This record gives sequence, C-alpha cells and structure tokens, in this order.
Amino acid sequence: MAQPENLLYSKEHEWVKIDGDTGTVGITDYAQHSLGDIVYVELPKVGAQVSQSGNVGVVESVKAVSDLFTPVSGEVTEVNAALENDAAAVNRDPYGEGWLFKLKLKDGGETASLLSPADYEKISAEG
Amino acid sequence: MKKTALHGEHVAANARLVPFGGFEMPVQYAGILKEHDAVRHRAGLFDLSHMGQFVLEGDGVADWADELTINAVGTMKPMQARYNIFCNPAGGAHDDVIFYRLPDRWLLVVNASNADKMWAHLNAHLKPGVRLTNRHGENALIAIQGPKSVEMLQPHADVDLSAMKYYFCSEAHVFGKTAVLARTGYTGEDGFEIFVDGAHAPEIWSDLLQRHAAEGLEPCGLGARDVLRLEAGMPLYGHELTEEITPVQAGLRWALKLNKPAFIGKDALAAQVERDDYPRIAGLVMGGRAPAREGYPVFFGGAHAGEIRSGSLAPSVGNQNIATALLPKDAATIGTSVEVEIRGTRHPATVVATPFYKRPA
Repeated sequence: MAQPENLLYSKEHEWVKIDGDTGTVGITDYAQHSLGDIVYVELPKVGAQVSQSGNVGVVESVKAVSDLFTPVSGEVTEVNAALENDAAAVNRDPYGEGWLFKLKLKDGGETASLLSPADYEKISAEG
Repeated sequence: MKKTALHGEHVAANARLVPFGGFEMPVQYAGILKEHDAVRHRAGLFDLSHMGQFVLEGDGVADWADELTINAVGTMKPMQARYNIFCNPAGGAHDDVIFYRLPDRWLLVVNASNADKMWAHLNAHLKPGVRLTNRHGENALIAIQGPKSVEMLQPHADVDLSAMKYYFCSEAHVFGKTAVLARTGYTGEDGFEIFVDGAHAPEIWSDLLQRHAAEGLEPCGLGARDVLRLEAGMPLYGHELTEEITPVQAGLRWALKLNKPAFIGKDALAAQVERDDYPRIAGLVMGGRAPAREGYPVFFGGAHAGEIRSGSLAPSVGNQNIATALLPKDAATIGTSVEVEIRGTRHPATVVATPFYKRPA
C-alpha cells in the first residue's frame, strides 16, 4: 500500500494527520501488517499530556504486545472508542476507521522532525 | 539456525519465520486468526518437523521406558499412541512426549526445545536390550488438523482413516510414500500426524495444499497452534510444565500411574498427590478486553498469588481472553474471582474449568 500523501510519519511507524492545531494519530499499514491480527489497543486518556516519542499505550496482536508512541506532543482530545470492541479495524483500515487518538498540538514545529511519505516509504521498505 | 525439510515451502508461501527450538519455523502464514478458523471449521496443515523424533528398538524398550516415565508404556497395544511425561526425581517435568508403538519399533516424539536434553537423558539411562536412533531433523512430521481431515487425507492414504481410533497409528503410504499415520494432534480437533522421510515431505505438503485449498485447507504456523492448544487445555512445555512444575500441578494426574513399579519422580509425585496442598495450574477467563500475558502477576484476596503462564485471545471461547496461571489451591478453585495486573492496573478474571474448548461431539 502506498503511503497516504497527506500524512507525516515517525520512525516508530505511526502517522499523524495535521489539521490546524489538531493532530490525528494512527499506526501505518506496514506496522499493522508486521503486528498481524490486532486484538487490543490501550490508548491514552482524554486530557492526558503526551510528549513527542513518548510511550502512550500499547497495540497487541494475538502473539505480542507493542508499545505505542506519539509522533507529536499535545493534549489528548479524543480516542477511537470503537476500537474497544473492534481492534481489528486497525488491520482493516489503518489510515481510516483504525485511527487511534487525536490531540491538540503543543508545538507545531515538531512536525519538522517527522518523515515525509517518500522518506517513510524508504524506511518501511528496508524493514 | 536449522531448517526443516519444508523450509522452502514456507519461504515460497511468504510465511513469517521465527527461531523456535533451534529451527527457523513459520509462526504464521495468512494470519493467526484465519488459520485458527480453518482448523476449527475445515482443516489446517502444520510443519512439526522441528520436533524431536527418536526411534526405540529392542525387547527391553517397554520395561525401560516404564522406569523413566509416569504413564504406562508396557500396557500399550501395537499401533497405539500414548501421551507421557519424563520427570526428574523431584517430580518436575523433563519433557512431555508421545510414544507410538509400531510392530517392530517405537517412535518417541519430544519437544523441539527439549530434544537435545532428552537425547542425553535417554542415553544416560540406556540399558541392554534398548537401541536408540536420533531422527531429529531428518524425519519430517506433518499434521493435518480439523473436522475435514479424514475427508481430505483419505484419497491419498492406503489405510481406512475413519476406522483408526483416536491415539492409534498405522504404517501406511501417503501419496505412495512410506509413512506412519497417527490420529493424534495438539489442537483439540480431529486430525492426523504424518511421519515421513524428509525427502518426501515437500511433495506431500504441496500436493495436499494444492488439492484441498478450495475446500479450505490452510497452511498454519506455530502461532495458531499455540492458541488452539491453549483453548483445548493442553499444556505447553516451558509454560504449564517445567522442571519445577510437576504433571500433578499441571492437572495431568490422569497420566500418573502410581500402580507402576518404581519410576523416576514417583515418590515425589505420590507425596504431592497425598498432600494435595500444592500450587496448581488454573484456567482463567479475563473479564475485560485486555489480554493476559505470560509473567503477569495474579492477585487473590488482594495479595500476590501467582503468575500467568500462557494467555491469548480465544476465538473459540466466545472471543474472550483466556489464560493459565500457577495459583495456590484456594485461589485455583473453579469460580474464584482473581485479578491480573496488566501494566500496573488490576483486571478481574475468573477461574474456570479446563479445557476451555471442547469440539462438538
């Protein structure tokens, strides 16, 4: 799957969609494929202050627990509650209904350290 | 890293490979949940060639093996298979195994991770009248598991599969190749295990898949196998059975034959049964959506009581999260409420009877 062009990416295989001062975060198609069948996600609490590259939760497949990092800092404003009963949405549609959480950006300048779609493509192709 | 005779098939199918028991083995093909579903409703094909295979020959095998194991070997009928456990003097498990009694020899299948240890153990206790041959990595082992196993395998085998009883075996030909077929498995479903020379394994594997893919036969990895065995209440060495966790603690009292003459571990196990005060493996169902994982602490009455030994989402147990835990007797009683600590938060769980899943009669 090609990387959506309207997103920015982290080396930890998260994406963020910047919309004004709001960021929407998820994991990439490469990440969901590597993890396999996702059965559970643990997301940060609404209102939590999170810092760029900080551990904010977990994504669990049948076999493994993987840490979830946030690609940008901010205050969590919303989490994808539908994943509680349908974590497999992250496998089906990682850039759409499988989004994880939204936050109010603390520092718009942080996005400079994130990867472009083309740069992320290179990283994920190397595995 | 060693490779099984089917390694090329796994690579060609783009399976995800991981190190296991010294071999590079497929953990999944299409996905653990899809493979699990195939085994429960149609059939799945597993490469188990990493497991240790020893051939035992000689008039003394039965008596010798009865001194080393907790279940009865000498009472096995020709063509019978039987689960058994080799213990240490304290009653802990060296390995859990299956003996297959053939007309002129015995097959002993041991866990891959224990194959070297078991080979040394058998040789250290070797007696006149017993000859051992190590076929680990040379003989292949393919399992077909699932309700359609008979239907899919019968056209390619020259014995009547539906007449073969559970935990019996037969010398046969599969696709014309010499094989031992056994009605055994580790999934909780009907199925067969096929012992063949490694040279013939790729052809049998690919022929079965090609001919029966349309009926839903799926290649399956160790990931699905672990979920299937946990649902079916079967112990996995290193988890529910270890050098420290005895078969009695693991709920395998049925396999312990205290009426046998002396065998390694007998006194310790008999005393444990008598006292009945030991920590034991309990089945848990989690109350919430968070999976319990190996090593997570378990609390009973607010106090730390034990730890999770295996845990998984269980599609055949209402999509709940199930687990095993080693718990004191009072906490391990069916119906007891306990808590599992997951990343610092305690989550409710209930002790339930195992197996978690039984196939429809």
